[in-house]
Amino acid sequence: MTRFILKRLALLVPQLILVVVGAFLLLRLLPVDPVTQRVGIFATEEGRAAVKEELGLDASLGSQLGDFLGGIVRLDFGEAWTTGDPVFEEIAQRFPITLQLIILGFMVAIAIAIPVALYVASRPVGKADKGTTVYALFAGAQPDFWWGLFFVYIFFFILGWFPAPLGLLDIHLIPPNGPTKFVLIDSLLDWDIEVFVSVLKHLALPVITLAFVLTGPILKIMRQAAMDVHASDYLLYAQAGGSPRQLRRRIIFRNALAPTLTVTGILFGFALGGAVIIETVFSLQGMGRYSLDRTLSVDFPAIQAAVSVMAAFVLFIYLLLDVMYAVLDPRVRYGEPG
Amino acid sequence: MSVEPGEYGAVGDAADMGGERSGDAPLPPAGMGAQVKELLRRSWLVRIGLFLVAVAVLLAIVGPYLARFPLEEATPNANLPPSTTYWFGTDPNGFDVFSRVLAAPRIDVAIALVATAIAFFIGSAIGLLTGYYRGWPGEFVMRIADLIQSFPLYVLAIIIVVLTGRNFQNIVLVIALLNIPIYVRLVRSQVLSLRERTFVEAGKAAGTTDLNIAVRHVLPNGLSPALAQVPITIGFAILITAGLSFIGAGVRPPTPEWGVMVASGAESIIIGEWWISFFPGVAISLTVFGFAVVGEALRAVFLREV
Repeated sequence: MTRFILKRLALLVPQLILVVVGAFLLLRLLPVDPVTQRVGIFATEEGRAAVKEELGLDASLGSQLGDFLGGIVRLDFGEAWTTGDPVFEEIAQRFPITLQLIILGFMVAIAIAIPVALYVASRPVGKADKGTTVYALFAGAQPDFWWGLFFVYIFFFILGWFPAPLGLLDIHLIPPNGPTKFVLIDSLLDWDIEVFVSVLKHLALPVITLAFVLTGPILKIMRQAAMDVHASDYLLYAQAGGSPRQLRRRIIFRNALAPTLTVTGILFGFALGGAVIIETVFSLQGMGRYSLDRTLSVDFPAIQAAVSVMAAFVLFIYLLLDVMYAVLDPRVRYGEPG
Repeated sequence: MSVEPGEYGAVGDAADMGGERSGDAPLPPAGMGAQVKELLRRSWLVRIGLFLVAVAVLLAIVGPYLARFPLEEATPNANLPPSTTYWFGTDPNGFDVFSRVLAAPRIDVAIALVATAIAFFIGSAIGLLTGYYRGWPGEFVMRIADLIQSFPLYVLAIIIVVLTGRNFQNIVLVIALLNIPIYVRLVRSQVLSLRERTFVEAGKAAGTTDLNIAVRHVLPNGLSPALAQVPITIGFAILITAGLSFIGAGVRPPTPEWGVMVASGAESIIIGEWWISFFPGVAISLTVFGFAVVGEALRAVFLREV
């Protein structure tokens, strides 16, 4: 197992470098001129040169890339062009907001999808099975921004159960300044129940929106995987050998979970990029909004850092899932084809 | 290629859902036309899906001519609820929501169709070449595909569209770029297994050129999964276009486009003016669902045929 993890870690390093260099080159290859963006088209040559130097764009591409890569090792992404603040600190503020949202969304989606999938897989072709299949197909093909607004209309405007979609906290509350930067956890650490409850209420609708969309694909793959196990020879063998029901349930669960994990990992990467939409609907200042706002203001250091951090995180999630997969399915560990 | 029943997602589920017969009856082994007919007869869901797709494509052609009011001409009649004059109400600019919902497929569906066509043709061609002629160029292409797919998709789309210019052409190209790797993979994996088959060897023995074998014999046999992916990509492209436009990184307002229209009502929803976002959103929801259903049905047909 240790060998497997080490081998997998060794693969991560070139992947990370590729992604970071890719993010850097992408910005330099696109036909956009950040200098003109700042000084306009009527600026003098001297003015342009001064701005170019100030932005660090006068250096050669190689040395710019070198600076960027060298900075990353020291957790220094340079200063943002729009604010002049260190990009690392800006991202450290924003990333937990997005992560908190997505992790909660996945927790809810998985908590619903897996038991439902296991249930309907044991009773295929029933009404419940048909219903969930249609739902899975439907939810996987929905505009999450519109459902977010729709939920706001129902649960805020009509029913008044949840607060307006304006950030994470009621306006009179002071956000906790804790060590984890996850407001939900930090408010608990401070034992500030009022803040905790307020955050929970504000997060409810964005999390429901996310879970509504995510449950579809997770349900679909888990149901299919569980049905495959039901139809498998090894389960038949276990049944013929008189294994207790409990054990057979465990076999189904474990074997169906492995492919589900893979799909969940891909979905996680997608959700991280797509967070910008939910963040827009609910006025959350997470990574999605950060990437969008800084792209609109052509802030190269911020954009390349944001993209690198998100892509690196997704690669890390893939690694984690591969390890979990190997725990669930020993064949992977020993290099046999799955 | 042999496909175990149930190996591919909801194979046959689309066919079975809501059918009068029990779901286990397999599709007849007859030709594809007969299978499609059988699928349509058996499943109300597939009928609905095809209907929605037909409406979307039809509106992409004639939608703008069905407008009851000028599409981009501001009027003082802002934020009026649905009435007999304004069937879906009006938005903050005083535009008629109904007219714009019908006109929008000219943008949304057109972008999706063009982008998908590009992704399909370029992706399949690359998949065929890298699968058939193995070697370092193929490996290099696959690493590029990996790279594209490891970036957060929406963020990549935002960056490219915003920095190159928010217009029809750039949105089409970005969506095509994001989907090309999917087609490369689908076709390549098929070709990799097909090229070991006897008919390829037979072709070689008969003196057929490599390119001829690849294009005329391997490709037609390996294209089914890519074709089944087409409606799914179209639906997904509509979601991306509308999503980008919703956050202000896609089509520019006041163009009649569903995402733009949902965004124009996003602020008034908290004061209860639901209709501005509601109707364009329903249009996106139904259209994308329609394409998803057709994709699922195509899979059922193609994968049984192989």
